Amino acid sequence: MDLDLARQAQDGDESAFAEIVRRYSPRVFSVASRFFRQRSLVEEAAQEVFLKAYTQLGSFEGRGSLEGWLTRIATNTCLNMVRSSKRRPESTVSDLTDDEQSWLDQHSVGDGGRSSVESSLVATDLADRLLSVLSPEDQQALLMIDGEDASIKEVAEATGWSESKVKVRAFRARKKVREAMEKLLGRKSKQLNSAAD
Amino acid sequence: MKDRHITEILDNASMAALSESELNEVRAHALECGPCRSAYEAARMSAVVLKSRAQTAIEPSPFFQTRVMAAIREQREVESVPAIFRLWNSAKVLVSSMALATVALGALSFALPEATPDDQSLSAYSAESVIMGQSADDQMTYEQVLSTIYEDDDDAR
Repeated sequence: MDLDLARQAQDGDESAFAEIVRRYSPRVFSVASRFFRQRSLVEEAAQEVFLKAYTQLGSFEGRGSLEGWLTRIATNTCLNMVRSSKRRPESTVSDLTDDEQSWLDQHSVGDGGRSSVESSLVATDLADRLLSVLSPEDQQALLMIDGEDASIKEVAEATGWSESKVKVRAFRARKKVREAMEKLLGRKSKQLNSAAD
Repeated sequence: MKDRHITEILDNASMAALSESELNEVRAHALECGPCRSAYEAARMSAVVLKSRAQTAIEPSPFFQTRVMAAIREQREVESVPAIFRLWNSAKVLVSSMALATVALGALSFALPEATPDDQSLSAYSAESVIMGQSADDQMTYEQVLSTIYEDDDDAR
């Protein structure tokens, strides 16, 4: 089915490629959203992915799924875009905002806090702070495994890395993120203590 | 078992992937070990924020498919033009302006007369032209004739 669609698109059938875009753009957007939070950047990356896919349709042999093939193109395209752009400044050690501090307070007592849109935005900001200490590749591995519950094998397939490389990246990333979070929590306790004094 | 630090367990797999026995071991150790307690707390919080980050996927807009197809058509049109024409399209403004400048310079150099400085008007006459080519319209004064002849003689010596 996927292979037929790919072949038709390769033969110049525009509606076949439009169907590929319609069917798999949510998946490509989901991959690009791991790397970028701005809609404009996500759309730019997704468009680049489909343009590449269009020119490389001949290399899709139908051994795996078209979705998997597009996921791999999306991952590599986004990694290249992140590498070629300026790295974000590492902001993990900077002071916590009031929102972030109250989010950590709510979640550190173990009640899970309120799950509102605002709360998840604060959590997402905190995650970006933590992820900024990692390389784009390590971010990718950690977000897929710890964020999306993907298996080592799935990450290896999506990225083209070996499974052992994925394991090493995930281990290293998890350790760095945990240490960065410990710093934030330590800073939070210090801020609370100094406020009490 | 309780004496073993738990950071390796925490870093080795996601919190969701830890087995019940591993979690029990971690919790039991964290109760008695201060550094491991903060490590466990940080790992738990990290897992929560990473889950939240992973859920913020942006949905494609309704116009995305149209935009992609338009970009593909544009790309196809560009590729259908031979490379030499593509090169010409990108360089034609520069080449045209250079050609125009060359033509303008050429026209100016032919159209404008050559400038002759005034102080050289006397020496422009040679002795021969003075003697042989004098006409009624081109009369020189007596002093001019003499100075031209003797100037040439001085140069010859």
